[in-house]
Amino acid sequence: MAMTALRREGRRFLLSPIPPNPSTAARSTMLSESTAYEMRWFLIVSLGDDLISGEVPKSNIHRKNHGRSRRSFVFVCSFFVNAGDLSLLGIRSISTQVVRNRMKSVKNIQKITKAMKMVAASKLRAVQLRTENSRGLWQPFTALLGDTPSVDVKKNVIVTITSDKGLCGGINSTSVKISKSLYKLTSGPEKETKYVLLGEKGKVQMVRDSKNSIEMTITEVQKNPVNYTQVSVLADDILKNVEYDALRIIFNKFHSVVSFIPTISTILSPEVVERESESGGKLGDLDSYEIEGGETKAEVLQNLAEFQFSCVLYNAVLENACSELGARMSAMDSSSRNAGEMLDRLTLTYNRTRQASITTELIEIISGASALTG
Amino acid sequence: MASAVAGSSAAVPFWRAAGMTYITYSNVCASLVRGCLKEPYKSEAATREKVHFAISKWANGKPEKPTIRSDSPEE
Repeated sequence: MAMTALRREGRRFLLSPIPPNPSTAARSTMLSESTAYEMRWFLIVSLGDDLISGEVPKSNIHRKNHGRSRRSFVFVCSFFVNAGDLSLLGIRSISTQVVRNRMKSVKNIQKITKAMKMVAASKLRAVQLRTENSRGLWQPFTALLGDTPSVDVKKNVIVTITSDKGLCGGINSTSVKISKSLYKLTSGPEKETKYVLLGEKGKVQMVRDSKNSIEMTITEVQKNPVNYTQVSVLADDILKNVEYDALRIIFNKFHSVVSFIPTISTILSPEVVERESESGGKLGDLDSYEIEGGETKAEVLQNLAEFQFSCVLYNAVLENACSELGARMSAMDSSSRNAGEMLDRLTLTYNRTRQASITTELIEIISGASALTG
Repeated sequence: MASAVAGSSAAVPFWRAAGMTYITYSNVCASLVRGCLKEPYKSEAATREKVHFAISKWANGKPEKPTIRSDSPEE
């Protein structure tokens, strides 16, 4: 029965099409409109052919009401109509399958982004506590040695702290942007500026245009929870391998869950500190401190400079981790919201398509019935 | 830097003469202190000593093979 229907439809297709009857129910979307029209005239023509070939009306009604044959008509029509569509495989309705697949994937994405937001929120709580506690480490240093980004030195090393993982909003891009502008600011005749990059994301962005100024890259810092020992070993490695007059650390300071401020911390090498404090420059009152023990001022300054770098780097890594988690929370939140909106729109389209196909079928049946009885 | 200081004044501390920085020195002292703790605080403190990162130096715009410093706690 299906095969005869197929053959019949093949003949019908070669004829010129009868202009479609514009009496239609509500059809809103373009897709359902065009396909519904084409389906309708195919079916009407096919039913008309049944009449022409002289089949008994009883068998026609029988065939019309039989679910299987009705399906075969619809199957064939959608074969011809939606040429590039999934409905080649005999799916009943007009392309609600496409919309349904989309809806399923968008819903999954929404679930994933919601879960990521929860994870980031829970991690943030723990790291935030440690960050606030670590702020006390470098404050005495700034009180003593000062934080003077405007100091003019020959060898600058820019330490940029970024994250290893993505999906955290724009914080890595802002850090890289500031590093690049700082590079331009501190470069000049006889001056030398180099990058030390922490984190995969910063490396990827810098490699594109500043390959030759990169001194070192460090990744996989966040594998274990951040602790001071790790950061101090890292600081040690950096100090041993680069020559510097001033180290500038760029990170995102964590103010609140929605606000992260890019910050630059400057650490001067002991020689520069010496120079600045002597000439009555920025660190003039360093000499007013008494030094106990058998160490000279230079010795003390060197120890202090190393320790200052380690402490400031520790705080910077923690603050950046906090900012990364906060940024990830808000990014995932906005993407879940977008996914929800997309899902609403898709549901509307799906319902419209579904209703249009049901309406089409009803019209075919009714017009076929009226063609028989009328 | 260390030699200049030694020439001008009192002896350099032993660790500076051995090539350690102040950071390394303080880390060693810290792990000694952590070793003096009793259980269970000792194992808690041991988690604070884990080090892991991969560092790679760049030469002429090309990275060299990264060395992974994933050793056990710094000693």
